[in-house]
Amino acid sequence: MKTDVRYFANDALRAHIEKDKALEQAVNVACLPGIVGPSLAMPDIHQGYGFPIGGVAAMDWQHGVVSPGGVGYDINCGVRLIRTNLVEAEVRARLRELVDQLFQDVPCGVGGKGHFDISQKQLKQVLERGSQWMVDEGYGDNADATFAEEGGCLGDADADCVSPRALERGRPQLGTLGSGNHFLEVQYVERIEDAEAARIFRIEEGQVVVLVHSGSRGLGHQVCTDFLQQMGAAMKKYGITLPDRQLACVPVQSEEGQRYLKAMRAAANFAWANRQAMTHFLRRSFERVFGKRARLSVLYDVCHNIAKREKHEWGGRPVDVLVHRKGATRAFPPHHAEIPMEYRAAGQPVLVPGSMGTASWILAGSAGSMRESFGSVCHGAGRMLSRNAAKAGRDARQIQRQLEERGIIVRSETRDGIVEEAPEAYKDVDEVIETVHIAGLAAKVARLRPMGVIKG
Amino acid sequence: MDFETLEHTADTGFRVRGATREELFANAAMALAEIVMDRTFAQPRESHRLTYAGSDVEERLVNWLNEVLWLMDGLRIAPAAIKDGEVWGEPRDDEKHPPRVVVKAVTFHQLVVTQENGGWMAEVFLDI
Repeated sequence: MKTDVRYFANDALRAHIEKDKALEQAVNVACLPGIVGPSLAMPDIHQGYGFPIGGVAAMDWQHGVVSPGGVGYDINCGVRLIRTNLVEAEVRARLRELVDQLFQDVPCGVGGKGHFDISQKQLKQVLERGSQWMVDEGYGDNADATFAEEGGCLGDADADCVSPRALERGRPQLGTLGSGNHFLEVQYVERIEDAEAARIFRIEEGQVVVLVHSGSRGLGHQVCTDFLQQMGAAMKKYGITLPDRQLACVPVQSEEGQRYLKAMRAAANFAWANRQAMTHFLRRSFERVFGKRARLSVLYDVCHNIAKREKHEWGGRPVDVLVHRKGATRAFPPHHAEIPMEYRAAGQPVLVPGSMGTASWILAGSAGSMRESFGSVCHGAGRMLSRNAAKAGRDARQIQRQLEERGIIVRSETRDGIVEEAPEAYKDVDEVIETVHIAGLAAKVARLRPMGVIKG
Repeated sequence: MDFETLEHTADTGFRVRGATREELFANAAMALAEIVMDRTFAQPRESHRLTYAGSDVEERLVNWLNEVLWLMDGLRIAPAAIKDGEVWGEPRDDEKHPPRVVVKAVTFHQLVVTQENGGWMAEVFLDI
């Protein structure tokens, strides 16, 4: 080990965290060359591949390594929160109609294709321009791209570093939600915890919002697969040996490292374009159900799986690092220059989805994140049960019925999509939020309750 | 096609066997296909020869399975059978081969490829 592992948890979460191999994986990350500060784990940590999910590692930009496994297969898997000007009662009155309309308009893409038929040339433009490409094509408002991490586009992306295979795998999937834990949720603001931050983020109690959780689909998956393969072979050249093959990495400054980062940024931009396309589709759904009076605006959009070059301070000195966030969210504090001007006084909005039956949260980045976690915080509730364990003794119709009794309508392309994501499969999101709030990484702003869920 | 499902907090895995290494690779490919879709009615209408390499048997298995995944997710083929190292199948049709889950990738996580009782056994985990 080159450094310590530090994790954030209360006693209740600690019992869950120690059940799987997540901490062992955090120890493996602590063995990577050029790691700065500790190998960090958020309270929603659970076992992943190579890196734990909920892991954060800052690597020295000049002398450290970059690891595709530290970003994950779903590059820029992330969430976008969209406000509406509607309130809970009026949406609840037409909820079933709305959920059916969303299910029809927002393609899940589990088997078939999305709504886009774009050329290879257009796809390459998407990879270099992200959200803005969609907006310029008429799929959104100019303000949409402003309210996103990096403005919905990472610079220095190079579509030529993305393999033809990754392009081909992703092309028909543009604008699709995906399966697994990806979803689209209609929610309402149940409780405001910080009135001033809520005012700045323009949210009120009872207001209806939509949360979209999706990533870079097959394009990002293939980029990760391609580079893991290349790096596995290249590691010998750089004299790197690791406790887990899935951690394959190369020096950030190597040709392979730089090519990966350019391809990763391109995949991240695909994910932003993807969430932008879905924003357009769901706007149309709301308009079909509620007419022109329905107005939707993007609150913010965050990445969960990414590696970014950032300037931080560690051990009393400035450091230039590549922060790997694998199932973790950036959480910059108030007055940080990377936050849109309108939100700067409150801190960066952090969007944390819970399980489909419970709650999600809006937080605001706090100063503690810069001292403790390289400006990072949790990304969700964190799985507790395996997919098989979640299925045991549970039936999709039964879960749907139970959720309906609690006022939540669920539509899914596959039955497994509902059972595997049963609320009981996840840790208690409120415990996760309480932990990061007390630790000073991010502060509670509002608790959101689901009303309608679309799953792949 | 027989395979056992393995537990993982976020994802899934399978254990598969074969009398020879070739049979192990073929059975692993069919297990992967079975996880991705219901391929009961898939017909062997066209064949695809996949190229893959690796420095050892583990890497070769992962690369082979990622090729099969590409065949299903990129070229949209429903595999019906493996004959002489070639994948036989037909174009995917969601009505005929209902999709089950999107597999993002085949991983090296806790990967096991071993010889036992005169045959071969592998344990493979998938990111889903």
